[in-house]
Amino acid sequence: MVIYRDEYRLYNFGPGHPFTPARLEMLTSLLQALGVWREPLAPPEASREEVLSVHSERLVRRVEAASCGEGVPDLEHYGLGTGDTPVFPGMDRAARVLVGGTLEGARRILVGERRVLQLGGGLHHAQYDRASGFCVYNDLSVAIRHLVRAGLRVAYLDIDVHHGDGVQWIHYEEKEVLTLSLHESGRYLFPGTGHVHEIGRGAGLGRKLNLPLEPFTEDGSYLEVFEALLPWALGAFRPDVLVVQAGADAHFLDPLADLLLTTRAYERLFRLILEYAEAYAGGRVLFTLGGGYSLDATVRVWTLLYHVFHGLPLPERLPEAWLRLWEARLGKPLTPTLHDPEGAYPEIPRKPEIEGRNRLTLRRLTELAEPYLLH
Amino acid sequence: MLVKDVMKGPVLTVGPDVTLEEAYGLLLARGIRHLPVVAEGRLVGIVTDRDIRLATSHLNPKGPCPGCTQVGEVMTREVVTAHPLDPVEEAAFVMRHRKIGCLPVLEDGEIVGIVTGIDLLDALLRLTGVTEPSGRLEVRLPDRVGELARLTGFLAGRGVNIHSLLSYPEEGEYVRAVARVNTLETHLLAQGLREAGFEVLWPPKKPW
Repeated sequence: MVIYRDEYRLYNFGPGHPFTPARLEMLTSLLQALGVWREPLAPPEASREEVLSVHSERLVRRVEAASCGEGVPDLEHYGLGTGDTPVFPGMDRAARVLVGGTLEGARRILVGERRVLQLGGGLHHAQYDRASGFCVYNDLSVAIRHLVRAGLRVAYLDIDVHHGDGVQWIHYEEKEVLTLSLHESGRYLFPGTGHVHEIGRGAGLGRKLNLPLEPFTEDGSYLEVFEALLPWALGAFRPDVLVVQAGADAHFLDPLADLLLTTRAYERLFRLILEYAEAYAGGRVLFTLGGGYSLDATVRVWTLLYHVFHGLPLPERLPEAWLRLWEARLGKPLTPTLHDPEGAYPEIPRKPEIEGRNRLTLRRLTELAEPYLLH
Repeated sequence: MLVKDVMKGPVLTVGPDVTLEEAYGLLLARGIRHLPVVAEGRLVGIVTDRDIRLATSHLNPKGPCPGCTQVGEVMTREVVTAHPLDPVEEAAFVMRHRKIGCLPVLEDGEIVGIVTGIDLLDALLRLTGVTEPSGRLEVRLPDRVGELARLTGFLAGRGVNIHSLLSYPEEGEYVRAVARVNTLETHLLAQGLREAGFEVLWPPKKPW
């Protein structure tokens, strides 16, 4: 089942902002041009109360006030009105529409749907008391909380290039939520967190796992640690459902970060995630989108996700008319094939060192978490 | 950042006539490593867990006697101290150069706090701003008037808040500036900085 509505595009920080609704417009138009678009389920927007299941009243009040253009003196304290997360008219509702989509995905899982793809959301930086990094409300945590309150154990997997800090901190002390984030190391990249030693607290101890990767990590190293970590962690935790934030910004073309995944790694990742969902979570999986700031790469990665999700054969070339239209709109050439061309970026001289450090990080993480995760 | 901002207080102290056994029990119970020794309201020495372990070791030629040896016999006298208004970097400098693990903090002759290596590590964490959601920018600046202002002015012009800014001298006529900035867009900032003539060390420029 796919969830989407055009109002997702109301979530718009204005021209020039990387988190642009053009991503969704391009994606849906490409799926239509490819002839694979099936009518999605249009979700209701989340209510204020549903947002309050993970956010503070005072944050929500400020988002509401800023949405109507009211002056709020301490806005920046709540992570709003900054260069990354500026306010815009109607922001509260636009964010609730996205939350509503992910929450609807959770509801559908609870009534028996196994696979849900929410073509939006993934606002993983929003915290209990603070908007952050393009994220106003945390749709993922609202959905996770809904699932947990219904008695499910949730494994949250975050493959966005940035650490899934908001989701991690909101559920940091919860036993029923396993969070797994693979990201470029916070030593360099926003939000600066996601170290291996952040493993949860109290009842949540050992159930928050972070794999911070070296800048310039490539397909092979990423897949190696991914395939070692996931079966181990999911096998130990035995979730009822997998919630996946499928950010596309670990792609080598991404302008905000430094990992070097190609579309081939993404195809393999999406197939593996579905396999793991079958093996460890009764086949139940809820995907959301997330970061991804190269329009060229992001749209192809999510088109891959859509095809793998539905078990469709992958097209090789993208439709000419669609390419011409978007190249004219963006004023630059686009990759004409779904997959990246071979050898699209130069050889990385530090490759062996990067692979070695990623292996070491994985070992540190498993050593730290093992005594807790298995109990 | 001043010593008063990072010191811990009130401070647990002992008299010089307390036995090593009692003193060690206190250190263990409180999970600390340093005990200032006070007599008639005045700081007269300091004793650490290491002093006590050495004094009570079988390797000690006087032989171990935790129950009969008094703190006054093994404590370090002429203690190096700090004042609450000393800058933390001065406290760090003194501790590093004297190779000591703590500084009792005195005000008008009275102990009001203590600074240990751990407190200085906490201070370092706060100074580097790693506790706020942020990305990292590293820039090499010529060591001359106005360069740092040019950098911060540039960031201000882009609407970027700086959580922390550390700078330190490099070989040659350069200063390295490391900033934690509240944005996901460090690459775009770096690009802008390069266009404005700055030498940006991180994030790197991608060759594609």
